[in-house]
Amino acid sequence: MTFRTKLLVVSSITLAGAVALTTGAVSILTRRAFDRINEQRRTALVAQLQKQLEVQSRDVEGKAQRASAYEGVFRLAVEASRAAPDLSAHYDDARPLAEGQSADFLDLLQPDGTIISSAHWPARFAYKNDWQIAPEDFASPTAFLTRVPVPEGKAAVAMVAVRPVAVGEKKIFVAVGKKLDATFLASMGSVPGTRTLLWLSPQEVLDANGPVASPDKLGSLATQAMQSGRRDAATIQWSADRYDSETVFPIPLTKRGTALGVLLVATSLAEQLRLERSIVWTGVLVGGAGILLGILIGWWATERITRPIASLSEGVRAVASGDWSARVPVSSADEIGELASSFNRMTEQLVEQRDRTVQAERVAAWRELARRLAHELKNPLFPLQITVENMKQARDRHPEQFDEVFRESTSTLLAEIGNLKTIIGRFSDFSKMPTPEFESVDVSALARDTAKLFGPQLTAEGRVPIELKLDLASEGTTVPADPEQLGRAMRNLILNAMDAMPGGGTLTIRTTAQQDGVRIEVSDTGAGLTEEECARLFTPYYTTKSHGTGLGLAIVQSVVSDHHGRISVHSAPNQGARFEIDLPARRAS
Amino acid sequence: VLRIETKAAPRSLDPSEALGDPAMELERARLSGLLFETLVTLDARGEAKPCLATAWTHDLARRRWVFSARPNVVLHNGQPWQPTPRSLEFPDEQPIEEILRTLAKRQNAIVIHDGTTAVGTGPFKVLTWDAGKTAVLAAHDGYWGGRPYLDEARILMNRGYAEQATAFEAGLADAIEIPIHEVRRQAARGGRSTVSELNWILALIPEKTIAAPIREALSHAIDRTAVHSVLLQKQGEPTGALLPQMVSGYAFLFGADRNLAAARQAVGSTSPMTLSYDRRDPLLKPIAERILLNTAEAGISLRMATADAGADLRLAWLPISSRDPRTALEDLGNLLRLPLEGASLYGIERALIERRSLIPLFHLPVAHRLSSAVRGWTSREWPLADVWIQQ
Repeated sequence: MTFRTKLLVVSSITLAGAVALTTGAVSILTRRAFDRINEQRRTALVAQLQKQLEVQSRDVEGKAQRASAYEGVFRLAVEASRAAPDLSAHYDDARPLAEGQSADFLDLLQPDGTIISSAHWPARFAYKNDWQIAPEDFASPTAFLTRVPVPEGKAAVAMVAVRPVAVGEKKIFVAVGKKLDATFLASMGSVPGTRTLLWLSPQEVLDANGPVASPDKLGSLATQAMQSGRRDAATIQWSADRYDSETVFPIPLTKRGTALGVLLVATSLAEQLRLERSIVWTGVLVGGAGILLGILIGWWATERITRPIASLSEGVRAVASGDWSARVPVSSADEIGELASSFNRMTEQLVEQRDRTVQAERVAAWRELARRLAHELKNPLFPLQITVENMKQARDRHPEQFDEVFRESTSTLLAEIGNLKTIIGRFSDFSKMPTPEFESVDVSALARDTAKLFGPQLTAEGRVPIELKLDLASEGTTVPADPEQLGRAMRNLILNAMDAMPGGGTLTIRTTAQQDGVRIEVSDTGAGLTEEECARLFTPYYTTKSHGTGLGLAIVQSVVSDHHGRISVHSAPNQGARFEIDLPARRAS
Repeated sequence: VLRIETKAAPRSLDPSEALGDPAMELERARLSGLLFETLVTLDARGEAKPCLATAWTHDLARRRWVFSARPNVVLHNGQPWQPTPRSLEFPDEQPIEEILRTLAKRQNAIVIHDGTTAVGTGPFKVLTWDAGKTAVLAAHDGYWGGRPYLDEARILMNRGYAEQATAFEAGLADAIEIPIHEVRRQAARGGRSTVSELNWILALIPEKTIAAPIREALSHAIDRTAVHSVLLQKQGEPTGALLPQMVSGYAFLFGADRNLAAARQAVGSTSPMTLSYDRRDPLLKPIAERILLNTAEAGISLRMATADAGADLRLAWLPISSRDPRTALEDLGNLLRLPLEGASLYGIERALIERRSLIPLFHLPVAHRLSSAVRGWTSREWPLADVWIQQ
């Protein structure tokens, strides 16, 4: 991925992220604002509910008082006070009383709770009243909420007041109830977006308009509120339309710890959801447009920003490929311009440094060459000088022995001249390393053949034997190489290893197939090399041995370099040395 | 002029015309009895009395029964009733009691078809007839039993209790029907009301087959006495039989007492059942609700049906059409679409109850509220021939 693309991606992501964050923040703030509004609505509705309950309480108390003062009730009380009352004629007395007082429930009760007459359920005469009226309720001057069973196994929650009607010491009771129903819920008025529901049972849920569709959706919330008394709000989705959702806040109606039902304050989420959706879509549209605009502007801006970087990159690539004369244009005075100027200065300094280094190395090489030449040539020249002086002294002092001396000296001279020629030949060979002729070479086979040449020398008499270990890969070791040159490099490494182990040891030759080539390892168990020696090992004419030209490893490095490979040495004092040659599987183009 | 209102709404007055609904035919009989007469009638004890026939004897060969037509009988159209002798002869193939019972049936009343009009011999004749709505009857001046006191009887049909009560309070009706439990209250208020003989059975009628133990459990679970004392205000009588004691003489053999323990023992485990009733009848709602309370105590799962159709049980009225028990049972058999089986009347009634899984609850009369001007209204239903208006 280019820097320019990265810039575009980063700027687009940043823009989209900013829009998303803004949208999210606005949504959260909106939701919180709605929550506050809903809380205020709920609080207002709950306050209204309390007020309406108070009103209903006073109303029911008044109805009970008026009903108990009715003449017919007194007559009933008189009849009930008799020793053997016949109350059957009064079984329907409660109904007109209830109608007169507009009461939903009215029971005329004996002191033990037996129903004399029930307005809403006439058939319950002679049964016990089961309105959840406790004994203390019969003496309660104030109204209270309770649960009133109605036919068909249903029940209502009602505000109930009880009043006694006494004849002498005998009493009957008038229990009057006004149920909390749709009318009651409607009487609370309406707060926009809010409604009140009354949950009586899983099948009986009312709001101000009557029975609620899908009452089962409230079952879990209401049951939990009934059982635990907790007021945990929940979101109810009434249909597949998600806007048909409400936040429902349960208010358990209890009587001395017994749950009677649940009032539910429901706040519509439609408005909130629509606004949130609008915000999200606005965010998506703004974000999309922003990203598109950002891409266009970013494309233009990054092109301007990355142009000098691209030039700089091109310059770096040119320098890396060897063109040290590469320069980049300086088009601005900012950091990029400063970087371009620095690059240009760096390349100039690199060229100067290279020239100086080349010059210094050239001088050093010449000096080293001169030193080696002097050293190499000095050895054969000294016997030559002695031999010539011996010949001269023999000619002057012992002419009769001159011929014999001449013969011996001549052979000595020829031998030393031969040495000189050998030395010169080696230098000549190094200077004339031929270009490798590549062919497919199985490196393992080549290593095995090469090692075989040295078998006799490793165990020759007069030297401590060296053990040869071959660890050669059987597959994947064929690479393009010049077998002659590569064999020569191997031979040099083997000779080098043998020289490093005058006291014997183990010579290990290993080949391994690599992912993209072959590795050849030649290791010994000799004295090893110091770090400095390792660093200078491949320098021509450098040697750690008392004999040798210092060209062996230089030749190895030259061969490896011509094969586009890499050579390295791993060694430490007294730990032997290991040379690794990595050859590529393909020829470099 | 007597103004009467009634819940009944017969489509026809002609007793010879089959309505296809025995209950409706029985309702029609109250009206048609004023217009058309039979050769004989049955009295309160079920004994045959002369009506259009004054006597009946065997012929000389003792192969036929010959009925003597009442003389000087005038039809509503003014023509004399002159039956040919043959039409009043019946082969002696059945006991005379059986023949008389057959002849006393409403559908065997004497009807003369004069064109499209059915003409009878009864104390009243039809002045106006709007089927199911209004009937105006005029006194039949030539009636053999003497002209009725009333000149005219205007009958409004298909009127609910509330409508009738409103009309009565407004002075628009002289006689109306009232729910039976209102009788006591009317009396307490000083109003005039009458009750008829026990001619209705209130019963639980299974719409689907129910097992005998369930029927037993239901019958034992219901507290008839409490309902009779309170909801029926002591009118009628609790029963476990179809026919009242005064008609059959053996009604006490069918137990009617509540036995909750027996009900619980008999019920075992039952699947839930539903109960329906005619919601236009104000008497039935509290009784049905009481039955639900009673059965719940016995562990019977019975609840009110949301619709009349498809209910397991129906709380409904069955008519006692005659003082003659066999005739009454025959009519009940027709109504319930069951042939009579059994050697004795008791056996027939027991078979009807068990085969249809009926649960008789109460025998009840019909109650009427009368204005203070109405006189002569006896315990018979609609005794208009004997009624007069005191000015």
